[in-house]
Amino acid sequence: MSDNTVYFASATGAEIECDKRQAYRFMGCRDDGNAGLDALYRECEELVKKEASFKAVWRKSSVLIEGDTVTFDFGKITSAALCKNLEGCTSAYVFAATAGMGVDRLLLRYDKLDSVKAMVISAVGSSAAECWCDIVNGKIADGKKTKPRFSPGYGGVDLRHQREIFDFLEAEKRLGITLTDSYFMVPVKSVTAFIGVVEE
Amino acid sequence: MDIKRFLTRTRLYFDGGMGTLLQAKGLKAGEKPEEWNITHPDIITDIHLEYLKAGSNIITTNTFGANCLKLDNYKELIAAAIKNAKDAIRLFEGDRGKCFVAFDMGPTGKMLEPLGDLGFEDAVEIFRKSAFEAEKNKADLIIIETMNDSLETKAAVLGAKEGSSLPVFVSNVFDEKGKLMTGADAKAMIAMLEGLGVDAVGMNCSLGPKQMLPVIADYVKYSSLPVMVSPNAGLPRSENGKTVFDVNEEEFSDVMAEIAQMGVGILGGCCGTTPEYIRKTVEKTGAVTFRKTEKKNYTFVSSYTHAVEIGGEPILIGERINPTGKPKFKDALRRGDIDYIVNEGVKQQEKGVHILDVNVGLPEIDEDKMLCDSVKALQSVLDLPLQLDSVRASSLEKAMRLYNGKPLINSVNGKKESMREILPLVKKYGGVLIALTIDENGIPETAEGRLAIARNIVRECEKMGIDRKDIIVDPLAMAVSSDKESGKVTLESVELIKKELGVKTSLGVSNISFGLPQRDTVNSFFFALALERGLDCAIMNPNSVSMMQAYHSFRALKGLDEGCTEYIDFASQNEITAVKKEAATETAGMDDLVYAIVKGMREPAYEKAKALLETTDPMAVINEKIIPALDEVGKGFEKKTVYLPQLLMSAEAASRAFDAVKAKMGDKRGESKGKIVLATVKGDIHDIGKNIVKVLLENYGFDVIDLGKDVAPEAVLEAVRSSGARIVGLSALMTTTVEAMKDTVELLKKEAPGVKTLVGGAVLTPEYAEMIGATCYGKDAMDAVRLATELSKK
Repeated sequence: MSDNTVYFASATGAEIECDKRQAYRFMGCRDDGNAGLDALYRECEELVKKEASFKAVWRKSSVLIEGDTVTFDFGKITSAALCKNLEGCTSAYVFAATAGMGVDRLLLRYDKLDSVKAMVISAVGSSAAECWCDIVNGKIADGKKTKPRFSPGYGGVDLRHQREIFDFLEAEKRLGITLTDSYFMVPVKSVTAFIGVVEE
Repeated sequence: MDIKRFLTRTRLYFDGGMGTLLQAKGLKAGEKPEEWNITHPDIITDIHLEYLKAGSNIITTNTFGANCLKLDNYKELIAAAIKNAKDAIRLFEGDRGKCFVAFDMGPTGKMLEPLGDLGFEDAVEIFRKSAFEAEKNKADLIIIETMNDSLETKAAVLGAKEGSSLPVFVSNVFDEKGKLMTGADAKAMIAMLEGLGVDAVGMNCSLGPKQMLPVIADYVKYSSLPVMVSPNAGLPRSENGKTVFDVNEEEFSDVMAEIAQMGVGILGGCCGTTPEYIRKTVEKTGAVTFRKTEKKNYTFVSSYTHAVEIGGEPILIGERINPTGKPKFKDALRRGDIDYIVNEGVKQQEKGVHILDVNVGLPEIDEDKMLCDSVKALQSVLDLPLQLDSVRASSLEKAMRLYNGKPLINSVNGKKESMREILPLVKKYGGVLIALTIDENGIPETAEGRLAIARNIVRECEKMGIDRKDIIVDPLAMAVSSDKESGKVTLESVELIKKELGVKTSLGVSNISFGLPQRDTVNSFFFALALERGLDCAIMNPNSVSMMQAYHSFRALKGLDEGCTEYIDFASQNEITAVKKEAATETAGMDDLVYAIVKGMREPAYEKAKALLETTDPMAVINEKIIPALDEVGKGFEKKTVYLPQLLMSAEAASRAFDAVKAKMGDKRGESKGKIVLATVKGDIHDIGKNIVKVLLENYGFDVIDLGKDVAPEAVLEAVRSSGARIVGLSALMTTTVEAMKDTVELLKKEAPGVKTLVGGAVLTPEYAEMIGATCYGKDAMDAVRLATELSKK
């Protein structure tokens, strides 16, 4: 019998460690000891940690690969890159994770008031979301061997599939994440991905 | 038969989860549960029946996502769903009329603007259509549930009420911090929903019953409406390959009994709960005595995050967003410069006001639109409740509709016409109303006369169903220079009206000193005297140090400031500002403005520019200091010795220096290099790069019309037409969206020939730019500025 459960995890901003080097990379620079930027980074990190609210859901799906197409429980996706990623798997976890709407609120505010701060907040938010995904990834794998996670929008996976993934996970109801007409996620610091399970 | 009568007499039980039960009966992944209303009516009716047998007396239709946005056949699905629920009730009890069908409305699945892309009125319309079908098919009530966002909740309530006359229950989703996903706390939601006139309020989903207790305590304390609670069965986890929820039936129902003890009258379950959870809950709460919800008397206004109570500590309402006597503000309004208004708001927030007055009326502008635009812009930047201030009822109505929260309304007065226009708006949209003691005969000279007008307004409000707790009387301070009794009578009125009517009071403090020198002194003494007579809030200027001194001193002297810590903070802030100014002026002559800009030091750049402008021509400051400094940083960026954040920090510092220049030159703004429209193309939401280009272009003297991200080709064309811009900058960062860039360039070529296009972004190459017919390709932000400057000269 298949496991229909949609699993859930959450964390507060204080529980997540941001990766400063990664955040700097997102800003297009490296940490060369600029004290002004360092102070700004720390201020923004504190803001993000205060406002972020991390949540994630995941659910197992069967996987069947034929040619360039993967058949999941919720539908088919055509992408050579995804097929290569899931090669040899008969199941995968589908997950959605978010850093919450607080970061969007910060971005909305500082886009108007202080664009440098908005950029740093955006970088910190992306980095925080990535760190949260790593944690969720660990919970999902739970000692099992898994493939590296793979997100729609990359490797030719059409963003339209976000709709099916959202329905499969009930992401709107469980996480409050929504899609725009162009299939982008709101809150913006959100991630969906597949994690292939490697058969022992 | 009417459920509203049951609400005051007995405890009601909703049903529990539907999703898990449907999956157990074979609902496939990705299949829409709502479709089963038509394809598997017997199964749906069976599940309803199970809940009725377990003791539920309100069952929820299987229509969580049955709206016109998600399902084309929503009308058929709604009709079938309500029929299934009614069939279950008929099978269970015949026609005794003690069980009810709640039409279920979940969120649209889209986030509303400005966080997302669904317009407020579009959302209202979606809910209105569903609600209309619900009443047509004879549901007994509407339950709006699992709402993560306060603004969407408001849209749903307006839709439910405009599309039907059914009772409306509203249930939101709170997280562990006691907040909705978009930020509102319990008090903010209660304030807004009571104002909108719903019938019950509460929470569901997300948390187990135990984690909900703190939020429930707030609801019971502050809500005058019956409270409903439907928790999850905790969280699912896998145990030996089987799914279990971490709160079982026993634990769940034990906590539900505790919740009933707290005074919650409507109980149910959400994800993971089954008929067994409800049966146990009904059993264990049977012995708990039902208590009718008591009316509360808190005066709350709210924003999208929090409520502000009026009637406890003194509340400051910032008066600076108002064009009266401010030529620069008037200019900003005529230009449609919303940023100016937002900045006035932010400055007052930093000074410590609790509420912002928003008056943007000028005879020559479209005030309806300006007030709505201002409210939207302010609410995307700051979280203070707003006081909507207009003499035009139409402007007030439009703004009250889309305001995210429960606003203060300024104002109504004792004239019949004013009450006829304003009171119905407050009744429909909710709000706390400022009532001015003036009527057809003017402002009475005595406190008793003003009391009489106030009494009349309160009576008319109560006739309409507007509670007296939502009325704040302003007995109108008039200039003491023209009437020596004015101060005395106003102070008497504050005390008398409060005592006799039990309403809150407010004053526009500054009027009192009209015509006198050193007005701040008079204002602040008058303010302190009024506070002592019981004034609850004041519309005032927070930039006035004496006013803030009066406020902080009053709090300290009245035992409202433990250890005088806030007074001390305020006093030391004042000293710091004074010292900073001195220091900045001292060093201004020594260091160069160029240095401050290159190092990205904002305030020093401003102060240095200001000092320099005392002796130097503004254009010389721009051309000999600011531009060369920017160029120096720009060159460093190209050579990769300066990184993007530093470049931006310098740009911001330059922008502050420009502020000083602008202030000096007054309305004669620097010579513009022309207009340029900027956009990240349709389908792309990466806008960091575009924003950098924008900041730099503005610094180099361009008028930038920024359309934001995910912009359709038609919108770009429209902006070109309405602004007359001759250059368009487009950005795209994803391989999937360069196509949209091509479409935009082609549309512009066809419909606006002669307009030049400047394109850039991570995935673009000079070759591709040429292929899609763009005028030129910018490899980075500095390059874009260089190219734009060249294009503008052609």
